[in-house]
Amino acid sequence: MQSQERPFRSASGEPLALRRRQHSASCRELALRRPRLQLRSLSAVTSAVWLAAYGVFVLSENSMVLSAAIFITLVGLIIYLHFVKIDQESLLVIGSLGIQLTSSYASGKESTTFIEMSRVKDVVINEAIYMQKVIYYLCILLKDPQDPQGVSEVVPLFQSSQPRLDCLMEVYKSCQEILDQRKEAPQSSGIK
Amino acid sequence: MAPRRSAGGSGAEMAAGGRAARGAAAAQSVCMVSDFFYPNMGGVESHIYQLSQCLIERGHKVLVVTHAYGGRRGVRYLSNGLKVYYLPLRVMYNQSTATTLFHSLPLLRCIFLRERVSVVHAHSSFSAMAHDALFHAKTMGLRTVFTDHSLFGFADVSSVLTNKLLTVSLCDTNHIICVSYTSKENTVLRAALDPRIVSVIPNAVDPTDFTPDPSRRDDGTVTIVVVSRLVYRKGIDLLSGIIPELCQKYPELHFLVGGEGPKRIVLEEVRERYQLHDRVRLLGALEHQDVRNVLVQGHIFLNTSLTEAFCMAIVEAASCGLQVVSTKVGGIPEVLPENLIILCEPSVKSLCDGLEKAIAQLRSGTLPSPEAVHNKVKTFYTWRDVAERTEKVYERVAGEKVLPMNERLDRLISHCGPVTGYIFALLAVLNFLFLVFLRWMTPDSIIDVAIDATGPKGAWTKQYFSGKKGRVKEEPPIS
Repeated sequence: MQSQERPFRSASGEPLALRRRQHSASCRELALRRPRLQLRSLSAVTSAVWLAAYGVFVLSENSMVLSAAIFITLVGLIIYLHFVKIDQESLLVIGSLGIQLTSSYASGKESTTFIEMSRVKDVVINEAIYMQKVIYYLCILLKDPQDPQGVSEVVPLFQSSQPRLDCLMEVYKSCQEILDQRKEAPQSSGIK
Repeated sequence: MAPRRSAGGSGAEMAAGGRAARGAAAAQSVCMVSDFFYPNMGGVESHIYQLSQCLIERGHKVLVVTHAYGGRRGVRYLSNGLKVYYLPLRVMYNQSTATTLFHSLPLLRCIFLRERVSVVHAHSSFSAMAHDALFHAKTMGLRTVFTDHSLFGFADVSSVLTNKLLTVSLCDTNHIICVSYTSKENTVLRAALDPRIVSVIPNAVDPTDFTPDPSRRDDGTVTIVVVSRLVYRKGIDLLSGIIPELCQKYPELHFLVGGEGPKRIVLEEVRERYQLHDRVRLLGALEHQDVRNVLVQGHIFLNTSLTEAFCMAIVEAASCGLQVVSTKVGGIPEVLPENLIILCEPSVKSLCDGLEKAIAQLRSGTLPSPEAVHNKVKTFYTWRDVAERTEKVYERVAGEKVLPMNERLDRLISHCGPVTGYIFALLAVLNFLFLVFLRWMTPDSIIDVAIDATGPKGAWTKQYFSGKKGRVKEEPPIS
């Protein structure tokens, strides 16, 4: 099993690390790791909330404000770690089986989607207008069961890390290598 | 709607040759900006599309920026890799976006940077987005060209305001293109410009689209064709005076009216009052590709416009071999030589005289044959010629310097009057500060350079397309 890691940047300038793992010729794992939650930003947000609460407390002289602030900070942190902050997004491509998308949250929660290879039409890089930017993104095109030429759905990948084009090209090439094997030998990639 | 592929099969070879001969130095990266583009239909839209296609053929990189039309938003590609950005900006009035002068800066900056735009070419003075783009491009230090497609008055409040806005917008633009000499005169006066930076490049028609077909005519009758939007500016009220008068005089006369608009009711009233249902046909809105099929059914084309910078409709009609009768307004007298057009004053009487003259010529058989007219007209206005001349403007602009901030402020203050000048100078400074802020937020270095897809040598080659027809998304090259 080969494994290599390369540094990249996201569309908003954040550092990213792309780890490529070659499990076998037709099985490859690509993981994008984002920087972990910094203690500095955590303490900055916490102290900002508490200072604001203290200001309100001085004005209103109601101590409920302080307890509410502590409560809000804690709940906010849990929600943030559990539902918002994604530490790692990975893509497991298995030529004969399908593509598995995993996002791991900072709390350790993982959400996984699996797409069968028979439904995958192609993996492409596309352009989109996102917020106030035009960015490149990687997406999986799903086959339309009614129309074999058509595309029924577009599944965007790496939505939270938004890597830049050089990184996307790397992932794209890796995926295409495996998808090409499937095209070359459609019979052999079936169940043996 | 997918616009048809322009130019013949020779396009690809020509472009390849053009690019090789030109070398990288002179090839420009042009960004066309206008609120008006396909799927909206009209003169400006087809102008931008055809000009872009011919510029691509000549080896330039061209992209179009417009606002989103319904579900059509994001990035799309048309023939020959012409890239179109449909930006999600709010449409305010008449397909024109609202302008705050600032909100479009982040997106436009991103596009200008990632496409490495060297010239920003804005179209149409009605388009707020075009003015916004000019303003931002100047702030970013890019070269700017503006094409004006319409004529304006000087008297009423709305034109006074638009003229002021145009003065502000054009006073520091590198070069301005007008479609006729009348339009140039008008623009120079309206925007108080130096005439030396205004060029005249007429519009063009695709002569292969507008070919005559005399067999489609009914020679037992005389058919007068009118194709225009049914609005006040197009003189539909004059038309409603002409129809009953001529129909009484000539029993074999028929009218064929193509187009839609608020003045349709006027024509319907006339038809009702004089019982002309069998002789006046109202076709409603026409698709661009149907226009030719309507034109070839007629003998005479009537244009009743009250104001017109450059009338495409009469060139199209003449290209189909029709005798043209038109009002003598705006740039129309420049468009066609005297033997192909009968010019009249914009009044019912004068137009009727002109039409009678045309009918008399038709009956006596002294009109030139449709084929002869077509062959003559097709040499007048071609898109290749327009592109060549526009290219010269780009070359000239590329040699000029962009005004630095302090000179730009001086120009604004000295040129646009004391109040407006200072207001816009302040806005220009604010825009610059906003740009500095954006540069701090997302530095230029982290904006990806877009893959160049333009032209047959671009990443999206024809061969690549042919195998995957009907596909919505495109892939980057596999290197």
